[in-house]
Amino acid sequence: MKKMLLLVLLIGLLTVGSALAADPIRIGLMAPLTGAWASEGQDMKQIVELLAEDLNAAGGINGRQVRVIIADDGGDPRTAALAAQRLSTQNILAVIGTYGSAVTEASQGIYDEAGIIQVANGSTAIRLTEKGNPYFLRTCPRDDEQGLVGFKALKDGGFKAIAILHDNSSYAKGLADETRALLQKDGANIVFFDALTPQQNDYTAILTRMRAANPDVVFFTGYYGEAGLLLRQKMEMNWTVPFIGGDATNNPDLVKIAGPTAAAGYRFLSPPVPQDLDTPEAKAFMASYRNKYNAEPGSVWAVLAGDGFRVITKAIEATDSTDRDKIVAYLKNEMQDFPGLTGEISFDEKGDRVGDLYRVYEVNAEGKFVMLP
Amino acid sequence: MDFFLQQLTNGLAVGSIYALIALGYTMVYGVLKLINFAHGDLFAIGAYLGLTLLTAFGLTRFLGPLGVVIVLALMVMGLVAVVGAVLERVAYRPLRQAHRLSAVVSAMGASIFFQNALMLIYGARYKVYPHDILPKNVVSLLGVEVPLVRLLVLLTSVLMMVALYLFIQKTRIGTAIRAAAIDQRAAKLMGINVDRVIMIVFLIGPALGGAAGLMVGLYYGQINFTMGWMYGLKAFTAAILGGIGNIPGAMVGGLLLGVIEAMGAAYLSIAWKDAITFIVLIAILIVRPTGLLGERVAEKV
Repeated sequence: MKKMLLLVLLIGLLTVGSALAADPIRIGLMAPLTGAWASEGQDMKQIVELLAEDLNAAGGINGRQVRVIIADDGGDPRTAALAAQRLSTQNILAVIGTYGSAVTEASQGIYDEAGIIQVANGSTAIRLTEKGNPYFLRTCPRDDEQGLVGFKALKDGGFKAIAILHDNSSYAKGLADETRALLQKDGANIVFFDALTPQQNDYTAILTRMRAANPDVVFFTGYYGEAGLLLRQKMEMNWTVPFIGGDATNNPDLVKIAGPTAAAGYRFLSPPVPQDLDTPEAKAFMASYRNKYNAEPGSVWAVLAGDGFRVITKAIEATDSTDRDKIVAYLKNEMQDFPGLTGEISFDEKGDRVGDLYRVYEVNAEGKFVMLP
Repeated sequence: MDFFLQQLTNGLAVGSIYALIALGYTMVYGVLKLINFAHGDLFAIGAYLGLTLLTAFGLTRFLGPLGVVIVLALMVMGLVAVVGAVLERVAYRPLRQAHRLSAVVSAMGASIFFQNALMLIYGARYKVYPHDILPKNVVSLLGVEVPLVRLLVLLTSVLMMVALYLFIQKTRIGTAIRAAAIDQRAAKLMGINVDRVIMIVFLIGPALGGAAGLMVGLYYGQINFTMGWMYGLKAFTAAILGGIGNIPGAMVGGLLLGVIEAMGAAYLSIAWKDAITFIVLIAILIVRPTGLLGERVAEKV
């Protein structure tokens, strides 16, 4: 009888053990599903869900399925802190996200304390990786890198009088400050430096003021919604000054808002989107995305969330472990030129993505984004 | 001087839209002493409905630009008026006897409901009106080049406001609305159906807000589901500036707010535009606590 009991216990333990082994790997996604950045968040969700489905259909990670657990950060730091606390209790190994730098910052400490790996996708503020947070990485570049690229684009364009416009968000202001500092060191003539208020639709007062300063070029570091309106209202004023934008304007909706005529000739800096890459990974992703959603992916930031998912799953597969330190060590030290959806991915010791990521894009006469060589 | 006039027209165009929305706040406050926080979202609904109707009926195929705008405006105003009346019936009337704070909370809830409903129905991305509906002519006025549409926005708003003012001052229903605003119980004793008056207020205010939404959509092109918040806040400020509860006050407040914003951006700092606007508001409220044209002292909400 005792033997019998032991046997039953043993069988019981074995089944439980194997059930544990087949448990899905849980990965979190924190995205702004509501609020002002909801369009970005919805895209992030669509892309990560699509990649998880494709991965699971192909057999998962070393035979284990992946489950994505989604939390809404509302694009707001307070909501993000709550979302991070909720996700921390969900037994997740890693979390992807999020978009805004201030929002990510509010969640960083919570994930760090819980020992959860965080891969941010759109948070470019420099300080995020300067804190020595071992489990924090990001697939997007940093503002200082973009500032340098912006400076080069403005310098190479041979512009004499430069206007810089931001929107007072920590991202846009950071980029504007960074670029201005580099330009000033180089002795460039900055005739205008100020901020607009987002979401206001009417920017004619600002454009009129800027026009009075008579710049050769305007560098706008804010987001695509405002950029589209600026271009449209600039055309209505018959003002022909060229506009250059930062990477937050990389969204096809910009052309819809401005109209193809007003948008033509507009340039912006951005990491490459998968449409412009001819790697097999990018092509497979695009085919799968078009097949499922019957549309083109929106902004590059949502695609970078997809890259976050792909590097994490790759690291779990390569180390064949769910040990956080091993995974992070793999990502930072061993992963070299991993073929991502936005070009090759490697991380440095701080968790920043390394490599020359930025390209210059131009809107052509048909309103399409064309990558300049 | 050109610069000043240019900025003046910029400010008046924005201000006229603020004024149209502010009328909705001020009318509801006048009669119910309630700040209808969902009003900004009714404005956003107007913008979205305009886009839906425009694309659904393919109006541009049958009518010229002016015809399209008039037909569209009538449909949008009618539909948003119905939404406003339903809002009153569902969210405010059951709370008529309750504490005033309850109604304010209900209004905020309605605002959140509308905003998220718009997001779920239309999606979170920006929506864009077709670009070729309105003419792109530019008129020269006192040596300043002003897009024709900008003048039309200003003109239409002013026309609507004058019509509303005459309606309130000269008609029987208008008199009943004024009576209910002064004293609801006394109005009831005089044989005025106050519930119906409130219903009418909730038809007119949202209709004007919806028209403003349509104008923003047609003129600026870009609409999104959070736009009601920003415009609502500005229009609410305009209503306070002019004296809440006072209809000419909302018009003056709206236009003034637009001009202050434009001038702040023109001669001081653009980034400080909103701060300047609110400093002016505070300064005016210190001197005249009831707003520019307000007579009755605003009670606490």
